[in-house]
Amino acid sequence: MTRFFKHLILLLIVVIWVLPFLALVTTSLRSETASKTSGFWTAFTPTVLGHRFGTHDRDNTEPFVTMSGNIFERLNEDKESFIVSGEVQSIMFTGRVPDPEKPGKTKLIRQLIYAGEPMDVRDGDFVFQSNGDFVWTFPEATAPKPKNLDAFINQDPVFGTDAYVEVLFENENVPNALISSFIVTIPATIIPITIAAFAAYAFAWMRFPGRDWLFVLVVSLMVVPTQLAFLPVLQGFSGIASWATALNAWMTDCEATKTCQVASKSFASLWITHTAFGLPLAIYLLRNYIVGLPKELLESARIDGASHLKIFTRLIIPLSVPALASFSIFQFLWVWNDLIVALYIGPADSSDLVFPIRLQKQLGTFKDQLHLLNASAVISIIVPLIVFLSMQRYFIRGLLAGSVKGG
Amino acid sequence: MKLNLGAAASVLFAATLFAGPSIADVCDTPSTLGDLGKFDGEVITIMGSMEGKDEEMLTNTASCFEKATGAVVKYSGSRDFAALIVADLRSNNAPNIAIFPQPGLAGDMAKEGHLVPLGQESADWMAENYGAGSSWVALGTYEDKDGNEDFYGFAFKKDLKSLVWYSPEQFDDNGYEIPTSMEDLIALSDQMVEDGNTPWCIGVESGNATGWTATDWMEDIMLRTTTPENYDRWVTNDLPFNSPEVLKAMELYGQFSRNDDYVAGGASSVATTFFGDAPKGLFSSPASCMMHRQASFIPAFFPNKGEELTDGSADFFYFPPFEAADLGNPVLGAGTLWTMTKDSPATRAFFEFMKEASAHEAWMQQGTFLTAHKGASLDAYATPTLKKQGEILSNATTFRFDASDLMPGAIGAGAFWSEMTAFANGQDAKTTADNIQSAWDAIK
Repeated sequence: MTRFFKHLILLLIVVIWVLPFLALVTTSLRSETASKTSGFWTAFTPTVLGHRFGTHDRDNTEPFVTMSGNIFERLNEDKESFIVSGEVQSIMFTGRVPDPEKPGKTKLIRQLIYAGEPMDVRDGDFVFQSNGDFVWTFPEATAPKPKNLDAFINQDPVFGTDAYVEVLFENENVPNALISSFIVTIPATIIPITIAAFAAYAFAWMRFPGRDWLFVLVVSLMVVPTQLAFLPVLQGFSGIASWATALNAWMTDCEATKTCQVASKSFASLWITHTAFGLPLAIYLLRNYIVGLPKELLESARIDGASHLKIFTRLIIPLSVPALASFSIFQFLWVWNDLIVALYIGPADSSDLVFPIRLQKQLGTFKDQLHLLNASAVISIIVPLIVFLSMQRYFIRGLLAGSVKGG
Repeated sequence: MKLNLGAAASVLFAATLFAGPSIADVCDTPSTLGDLGKFDGEVITIMGSMEGKDEEMLTNTASCFEKATGAVVKYSGSRDFAALIVADLRSNNAPNIAIFPQPGLAGDMAKEGHLVPLGQESADWMAENYGAGSSWVALGTYEDKDGNEDFYGFAFKKDLKSLVWYSPEQFDDNGYEIPTSMEDLIALSDQMVEDGNTPWCIGVESGNATGWTATDWMEDIMLRTTTPENYDRWVTNDLPFNSPEVLKAMELYGQFSRNDDYVAGGASSVATTFFGDAPKGLFSSPASCMMHRQASFIPAFFPNKGEELTDGSADFFYFPPFEAADLGNPVLGAGTLWTMTKDSPATRAFFEFMKEASAHEAWMQQGTFLTAHKGASLDAYATPTLKKQGEILSNATTFRFDASDLMPGAIGAGAFWSEMTAFANGQDAKTTADNIQSAWDAIK
């Protein structure tokens, strides 16, 4: 019985976590109007949605007695995808009719007209069928202005990859952002983990004065919030940049082409910042893992004459793969999803923006283009998903690793 | 091979079709560009809050400068501009030019000594060549570190706020007429309610700037219920927020926004409706409202991104004044202020470029740009819509800048916004006004 409840709760948690993702994927495959007017859960079954169509084109001024057409043809005229199909349930009629209470005045009415019922549109008789066919008859040949009508259509589910095509192929913003994100994330994962592995070994197995105090200091750095350090870090980078600019001017003939200026906000600044803020946790995690490796192993290696470097590369690294992998997942996800550091410290050129900034920009200017945002968001999720799934078995082992001390 | 070329050419053709006027056309203006000097390869960095379409038009306009001088203009826009520019200026990472959407922050930065004065010459130029020039100069004049006043902010892109958007088709179908006075507008709103329609779509939600649309309403009504002099005194708090004049304006705004019959979705939806979603009610099927009061930029948020204006399914009229009040035709607006944050000869040349009528016309041709430059040809306006807005500007007897932008940040971008949101949520006018006034007293 308890087992059943456990499974039930587990299922509930899974549903809670997976549902938003499903919603995102579904919405990204729906048409703009559909996703704006109805919830994602209605995407799989026929749903009644309002559509506005014009009876005929504005430049069509040929007089006629009877005009016939099809609502779906009118709606799908300029469309290549998200073709509207289904059955027309009703049309919302808005117009003025003579007011029975106030003679000589008109009164606005709004009325739902169902398939087959006649309605008075611009003094003509307008009848439509549920398959979309409509006939508009006048007593004598007239050239009425087009009339826009609101049709409620019980619409069949329709999906399309338009948003993905637009995001990936129609302009280079999202592909550029994808590349920039990789340029930032890969070094910002490899550099801290390399430094941290050396440091962790030193903290675990080398004896030097003040070792424990230094370790406490490093661990306590974990609590420094990144946001607090933006201004001094930026000032530091601008100092380095002006120094580099001067060096550049002295070493090369850049003055002729006016390219001496070294940017203080660049990919390199991001690597350094992410490295610096990732190191405390990395050292802490790896040190706790490495200190737990069997002491006898290292001692026998030392008796055999292995140097520190040899022990590190031949023994420690192969044995620490789970811890290294788990930290790289941490760091990769954190850097991949990072918005604020990239915003303040990263390059500002529009071709160099990382993915989270691009997403935010889409939200900012195209809050009405939610379908593009959804598609981009799905693309941005895929990368961490691959990283996580391919390394998750190390992740769990690595997380447990630091917690059991001994040896 | 030939086939491939043909396909490539057709793709290119399609691309230029959708991009609107190409860059070459943009720089081809009625007025000719004067000599600005040569700055081959020199980089000018610009930071601002414009994104998307505005960003595109900005870079297109700057490309005319690039072509004329050989300099390279790099623009980076972010909606977090206000936070980023402060960090950049304080850490010596200043761009050459910073475009402030509100004068308040520019003034603060001038006080910290991060802005480079543009000089008396520029101020004199603006006073002479801009319509209502002296008020624009005053807008860009701030105190520096030592308390000396200098001219820093070059107003370049204007927005018109006193507009009411509607769908001509809906007006046609329902037999409504465009009102020419506030009395008519209120009568029309009542008529709509009687007909079973909802007159207004109002939304004030805007993330951490929620409430600003409500302050625009308030300001527009202030200009229509009291004198421009009182408006100026209100901006500096010589006229307290809880004075009868301000309260009257707030109550009148309440008549519109806190009336369940008047607002689509009911009065309670005002605070939670995103300002960009509000106008969509004009075009929804069936239409959920008949009118929407908003600034000239709003067509970008229409379902077809403003194409409605060209195909005739959307239009606007001037938010009219009270006939009885006899206050002329007041107009509320705003503008972006371009400041020099890092001096360089090429940057100075860029400010000279902005004085050229041709630079204004280049942007006018692309749309969403209104100018006060007297030398710029009105024929350059991209659409009849913009031209009509230009006419509203020129017919105005009074022009006033967005008051909330002129008030100190803690009020204009703080208490005024949040209290107006509270007002939308049902707080009464007196409490709202008292709260804003006490917030103002606290920073005096």
